[in-house]
Amino acid sequence: MMTDVLTEKKPFPRERCKTGIEGLDNILNGGIPRGNTILITGSCGTGKTTLSLEFLVHGALAGEKCLFISVTEPSSKLLANLIPYEFFDDRLIEQGLLVFIDMPALYERLGLRKTEFTFEEIHMLVNAIVGIVRELQIKRLVIDSITSVCFQLKTEEKIREFILKLGKALSDYGCTSLLVSEISPAEQRYSMYGVEEAIADGIIILGNLERKGDLLRTLQVVKMRGTSHSRAKYVLDLTPIGILLVPLLKGGMGGEK
Amino acid sequence: MNSTEIAERLKSMPDGSSIALKIGENNFADNYVAAITGILKEFMPERRYTCVYVTTTTPSHLCKNLFEMFEVDVSNIYFVDAISHIMMNVSTQMERTTYIESPTMLENILLKIEFLLKKLPTENKLLILDSINTLAIHNGNRILAEFLHILVNNLKSKGVFTIILGVEEKNSDEISNMLSLVCDDTIVVK
Repeated sequence: MMTDVLTEKKPFPRERCKTGIEGLDNILNGGIPRGNTILITGSCGTGKTTLSLEFLVHGALAGEKCLFISVTEPSSKLLANLIPYEFFDDRLIEQGLLVFIDMPALYERLGLRKTEFTFEEIHMLVNAIVGIVRELQIKRLVIDSITSVCFQLKTEEKIREFILKLGKALSDYGCTSLLVSEISPAEQRYSMYGVEEAIADGIIILGNLERKGDLLRTLQVVKMRGTSHSRAKYVLDLTPIGILLVPLLKGGMGGEK
Repeated sequence: MNSTEIAERLKSMPDGSSIALKIGENNFADNYVAAITGILKEFMPERRYTCVYVTTTTPSHLCKNLFEMFEVDVSNIYFVDAISHIMMNVSTQMERTTYIESPTMLENILLKIEFLLKKLPTENKLLILDSINTLAIHNGNRILAEFLHILVNNLKSKGVFTIILGVEEKNSDEISNMLSLVCDDTIVVK
């Protein structure tokens, strides 16, 4: 009997966490492997927060409990960004499927007031986040942004300790996490401190591509453990029905006459 | 070829077809009117299509005025307007219209079409691209060929009837080859 060479010896497929963004789920062959910690990286205005919020809203609509930890701006302001979505439903928040927490309030509760955290305080912060995830039975988490948290950790060792411990605890619990990373447009790496990108299970980079004076929003999955995926660049649009993606046309590259 | 003959040719083709409709340069205005009325007044209502009209030639408000002049029901026509912005002509935004900054932003044309196709409540959809010649003014042949290939195959997979308008005599060999590669049939209106 003939066997299909393409289906032989495939590793056991990991359960997927569908982002609900059709184009991205196609790129990822069905979604993010559940439990992965993903770095969503890009400069300002590239759609990092929008993508993260959409990931959570789709999760909540599917009945999963989702948590957004806002580090840089009050969650009340973020909620205003959700309203234009046609698929957003206020009841997701009322039913506790979509939870927003402001990180400064968490720091306050833990008594973390210093500009640089000690290892002990890092463990305290990780335990507090994991505790919330366990207590609320969170399956999808977004921290926006991890860069702002890392700013208070200062050293590579502390950043590594924080992300490793947090990532492992969340993964053990089966929580799929997006860590939003801010970089400047000229940055040659995927994260501000260079540590985050090495530890994350996946990296999705959002960018602005200038082509003959036009500015296109782009998305590229450069790394994703646990699944095969496209590494091509896609152009995205932020619409009231969510993020739409199409392949970047390559005919314009490479000096066409 | 008059509007009824154009409509009859189109009616003989199944949903999901892709047609290159080449309008002759001589008596262009008459040929264009025959093509537009044949498609929008005779063919489209019979199939109960909702139309996505991608204009890269004439600003959408002028297209709408023109269609209304020929008594076309424009309530089922949604415009993707990729020309008004570069003509600095979007101070008053029209309803049922989505704007793109420039006809060079081909990916954004694909995205706006995708958006409208997802949003439109009806099953039966018609897409008109007006025109291949103006897209060729603003884009190189290679990127345009890639755009057409992705657009037409994507629409075909969704069962959308696609009509690509162009001026026959202004089509270069490259454009003619592209159209014959991606389209199921060609109608020449002379």
